[in-house]
Amino acid sequence: MTARLRIVTLLAVFISMLVCARAEAEPWFAVQQGFKCAQCHVNPAGGGMRNTFGEVWGQTALPARHLDIGEPWTGEINKYIAIGGNLRASGSFTDTPHQKSLSSFDVDEMRLYVEVRAIPDRLSLYVDQKIAPGGSINSEAYGRLWTSNHQWYLQAGQMYLPYGIRLQDDTAFIRQVTGVNFATPDRGVQVGFESPNWSAQLAVTNGTAGGSSTPDGKQYSLRAEHVRSIWRLGASVNFNDATGESRQMQNIFAGVRTGPISWLAEADYISDENFTPKRKQVVGLLEANWNFAKGHNLKVTTEYFDPDRDVDHDYQDRWSIVWEYTPYQFLQVRVGGRNYDGIPQNDSQNRRLVFAQINGYF
Amino acid sequence: MMTRRLIGAMLIAGPLLAACGGSGEGLDQNGRPVTGGGNGGGGGGSTLTPDLQSIQANVFTPICTACHAGAAAPLGFRLDEASAFAMLVNAPSVEVPSLLRVSPGDPDSSYLIQKLEGHAAVGAQMPLDQAPLPQATINVIRQWITNGAAPAPAGMGLLTQLAAVAPVENEILTRSAPAPLIAADGALQLTTINAANLTVERSTSGQFDDAADVTRVHGAKLDVRSRNPTVFSLELPESERMPGTYRVTLRGSGPVPVLDSQGRPIGDFTLRFTIEDLP
Repeated sequence: MTARLRIVTLLAVFISMLVCARAEAEPWFAVQQGFKCAQCHVNPAGGGMRNTFGEVWGQTALPARHLDIGEPWTGEINKYIAIGGNLRASGSFTDTPHQKSLSSFDVDEMRLYVEVRAIPDRLSLYVDQKIAPGGSINSEAYGRLWTSNHQWYLQAGQMYLPYGIRLQDDTAFIRQVTGVNFATPDRGVQVGFESPNWSAQLAVTNGTAGGSSTPDGKQYSLRAEHVRSIWRLGASVNFNDATGESRQMQNIFAGVRTGPISWLAEADYISDENFTPKRKQVVGLLEANWNFAKGHNLKVTTEYFDPDRDVDHDYQDRWSIVWEYTPYQFLQVRVGGRNYDGIPQNDSQNRRLVFAQINGYF
Repeated sequence: MMTRRLIGAMLIAGPLLAACGGSGEGLDQNGRPVTGGGNGGGGGGSTLTPDLQSIQANVFTPICTACHAGAAAPLGFRLDEASAFAMLVNAPSVEVPSLLRVSPGDPDSSYLIQKLEGHAAVGAQMPLDQAPLPQATINVIRQWITNGAAPAPAGMGLLTQLAAVAPVENEILTRSAPAPLIAADGALQLTTINAANLTVERSTSGQFDDAADVTRVHGAKLDVRSRNPTVFSLELPESERMPGTYRVTLRGSGPVPVLDSQGRPIGDFTLRFTIEDLP
């Protein structure tokens, strides 16, 4: 380990102890600490590989206990190459009305991250590859160039789109309905800006979720967030007229810390021009994260989805409660339940889910 | 104390809020208003039967199109009414190109079934992050495939005349993109398609007004995926998949037109798309 790396590591540990924090690759943690996504992630917009700070934090401040294994893993193979990964496996029990209950064990995902720092701190190449279950699928592959003052960057390739809160849970209404999630990276370019209190991204992409480009248009995503120590407020706009199916989305999102509770909220308004009459949808999320002991978080979430503003009695809700326990570094256990509530005619909209998941990370 | 109150309020308010989903009054299974005394939505809420119309209304539309619709459909795979048949039947899977999404008569080899039953070689079981479909539902889809994977009755949203499914007009493709997929709303007399009425041309400028710039592409072959309605892909020889703008013309007029099953000329069809080399 180089002297510089030791300093960074010690600094990370020191800061994390100062703020009595738990590190977790989820937005609530950034809210609790008053951090931006770039504090812990290679991608300034969040998600994916953790940087050195994020790696060290995840091993020292997140878990209930820290097992002494010597120097912490930083992900850095050498000055130019860093790697990371996640493995999520789960067991679940699903109860759907009028259907036989189902229990199953699954490998949700195994991801590997590689960052090649061709010119350290300036030019890097990044790959996020989902290697399980099944065959290998590329999620992100891009190059990023920072300006010398590390305020602006240009990114090109395949990437997750900047829009709203980057929740890990792709099944959340705000991620599933908007179609901006970890399953729908897109190809294009992104310009980003980072300052102590601001984070902003503008992306122009094909608008085809990784498919071929079309002549009809592109997808434009603009996200801006103002971050203070105990609160943050942001807004996003997304316009997609690829394949002639015009969709416009806008949202506001916020986070605030009240003692040991970190709150997240997002509200989206979506309009689809290719429906006659135009279809308008509303989606919302409110989430509380109670960090009641070191290594323990209780997450309570309520969500709302109105699939068509012009149709009455069709809205859906989802309520979740999840206990997240990180016994020691590199391992997190999540146990929770979700209750879906929608129109009685649709059984799938009224299911209940209980699950346990392990998340190994490095 | 404040913390406990806040969490307590959340725990109480959350379930209460979540317990007030829509009543569904006046709606069909897909959440669309019931019209004309029927159950609307193309049969949503009706008993699932082994035909595409029923599967569309009971499975694809209410469940799959939550993600697989519109421009942002994962891997470009759309299951809305207008796209489902052409995207499924005899269409190679993107994840495992050696398998067809739906191989008529052979559900075990159909990638759709493998994805629904959770033993596909690539990716997660569908529907993603939801309870798998009941085996009884999958069995109905299996039966539809076993029966030959017939299309829905005309008028259910299938394309009129002859139309491009993918790529769409003027789409930009990479050299590795799948072959163009073209569908009709009825049956064509495939024997009437020949070199006289099917042409594929390439232009480097994108304009087709300069004969010196236009090259006739030879060796294009039809890969027929369905005869009724007629759906086919147009396979270009690898050596001919060069960067440039392509114009595909099927002449349904003139001296040797393409005819439908009743012997009627179908009218002219053209499709332009561009193949670009990745840097």
